[in-house]
Amino acid sequence: MSQGRAGKINYRCPNCLFRDIDFDLLYDKEENQYYCRRCNWEGMEEEILFQYAAYKRKYKDMLKRYTVEDILAKDEE
Amino acid sequence: MDKFILNVIHRPELVPEYIDTSAQEGQTEEVSKKEVVSESLDIFRLQQNIAHQNGLRTTIQMTYSSLFNDECIEMAKQYHQEFGDEIGHTFLGLNCKEFRDKYHSKELAMWLFPMDLKQKIVVDSFELFKDVFGFYPTSTGSYFLDAELINFIKEKYPMIKTAIATCFEEGPKIFRHTNSSWYTLMDGSPWTAWIPSKKNTHAIAENEDDDIGIVALPHLSRDLLAIMDNAGDMFGTHPQNIIRGLIYEDDRLPYMYNLVDQYQVMKKFNKGFSYNLAYVGPGWMGKGGRWEAPYRILKKSYEDFIAYYGHLKSEGKIQDMTMTEFADWFRGNQPRSGPLVGLWKDLLYGTKNQAFWYADSKFRVQIDLKQGGAITDLRPYASKLTRPCGAGTKANQDASYPYIVHSRYRAGAFTHYAGEGAIKSCKVRHGAEEVDVSACRTTGAYDEGEGCRILNIRPVEIEFANLTIKLATTYTFKENTGEILISRKFIESSDPNAKIEIDEFLASCWGTTEYPEDLTGCVLSVIEKDGSRNELSYEYRCREYAADNIQSVEAVIPHVQTKVSLIPQSPKCGGYYEEGYSFAPNLKLGVVKTIGLNEELVTCLKVEQAK
Ligand SMILES: [Zn+2]
Repeated sequence: MSQGRAGKINYRCPNCLFRDIDFDLLYDKEENQYYCRRCNWEGMEEEILFQYAAYKRKYKDMLKRYTVEDILAKDEE
Repeated sequence: MDKFILNVIHRPELVPEYIDTSAQEGQTEEVSKKEVVSESLDIFRLQQNIAHQNGLRTTIQMTYSSLFNDECIEMAKQYHQEFGDEIGHTFLGLNCKEFRDKYHSKELAMWLFPMDLKQKIVVDSFELFKDVFGFYPTSTGSYFLDAELINFIKEKYPMIKTAIATCFEEGPKIFRHTNSSWYTLMDGSPWTAWIPSKKNTHAIAENEDDDIGIVALPHLSRDLLAIMDNAGDMFGTHPQNIIRGLIYEDDRLPYMYNLVDQYQVMKKFNKGFSYNLAYVGPGWMGKGGRWEAPYRILKKSYEDFIAYYGHLKSEGKIQDMTMTEFADWFRGNQPRSGPLVGLWKDLLYGTKNQAFWYADSKFRVQIDLKQGGAITDLRPYASKLTRPCGAGTKANQDASYPYIVHSRYRAGAFTHYAGEGAIKSCKVRHGAEEVDVSACRTTGAYDEGEGCRILNIRPVEIEFANLTIKLATTYTFKENTGEILISRKFIESSDPNAKIEIDEFLASCWGTTEYPEDLTGCVLSVIEKDGSRNELSYEYRCREYAADNIQSVEAVIPHVQTKVSLIPQSPKCGGYYEEGYSFAPNLKLGVVKTIGLNEELVTCLKVEQAK
């Protein structure tokens, strides 16, 4: 088994992310696979991106703009 | 008043804390590498240019290493001359070759050195600053500075007017987020500018005698709702922190504007004043990217963010100041002891959730409106705890101000045992049925009165098997008295003759983290109307006492020198204490009264220093 290195992009472990821990993944060139040294997550880049997208779903208003007027209007609701 | 004030701060950090991703591969003992220095100065220059292009002045915080770098010193002087930027000082970025050669230490956190070294470093770096610039700085900062160190600085260098003195709610949540490796354990401070007590930096000064002599600033202005259950290092006036939280899509981060706009709204609760601090260290804008985010997005997010402040300035909606200018303004225009108030609305999760925050010289209180307006975090500033931090102290890394209620660290409404964890809430009973108001989601509205700030909680509906009622709650904070009047009014009923019992209770413990601390020796008392007192010393024996007609119930928590009482303001109220046991390590106080429609129970929650 070969040495794990930082990947071209320094992804964080998606599984650790979901439990509020930032932990850098290592990349195994031989297997073309990322893996976590803390938990048991391993996978390909696509799986990381898929899980990041899932992580973001909790931010339902992530792309919504609230101006001062919008926020003040919330007071009157 | 209509004042929204901004401090933009940049620091030339020649060995940025974060820039060196190759550290993991063991290549970095040579931390002073030329490329790192030149990249770091490039980032500093870029950040400065972005601010100036948007018509904003900055405070340049000179780090220890930058005071040895001629190019950097020259840049600072030029920026000062051309744009009026302040040349200030910081204890961040201490670690560099010169520092290690002199102090033989790899410690990077100013607040964690032993006191003798802290003092040495203060004198060393301030004198170095004077040698370089010909004057002493008037502003400084770190992630945290304890009161003992600020007192020393003020004694030696009385010209210091302001400091970044803490990071708001950097505590156990951030510690976990950083794989338990980032030792900024400093929960419990105000979220916006304040004047600290001489005894404890977190606590707001009581009066002139207690005034530590600086205006303290929190490192970043953070989302007061998102940080309650999440690490704050994703939700602040720091675009790359927002990227860290994955709150973005490509280069779109509208949340950063929403955050600034909600801070504009905070003027409404603070007599027309609000404040923002933007402070991005160079390590967050490295060419190599930061985690998944490429340089392009890191850079663009900062450009967009600062441009928004520039836009607000051009519309007259924000005023940029340097740190020292702001300290002077604050001294002249804001009361020494607060209060500081915030009613924060969720702008991220798509809920109607709100949080109310209040701080003055007696306490910092967090009210969760989603939990029926329960108090879910309470820090007793009244006790003005002496609690130095750093090597050689009892607290060492744990620089937080202790809580006496923390519902997220210490269970709150939901536990695996009978009874609740730490929370200040109320129960409504009808016959054999009981509902905790913390189960009723609601929202709040802000109001002010003479010498008080008011949170009106929108009435909640409570359904029993044969009865539906509405209960209205109001919190009245009597400024700088340590007293909150809590009114529970029975305003609607499906049966106009029905009676309900209100149990206004406090489940309390103390600590700074999720873990329990010793409660042995806490004293619980029920004081009856005739003056007789039933008292108990806490031993985890699950004892309890109740009386029908009381003056007050109280608990003294000697470990944090705090006395907390519930004092009924309505006639003929019962009251009780409950001791707790090791699997339920809390103490509980309650005031109880049966009321009919249109009647209310008013209780005073009082927090005092226990001698
Ligand atoms: Zn992991």
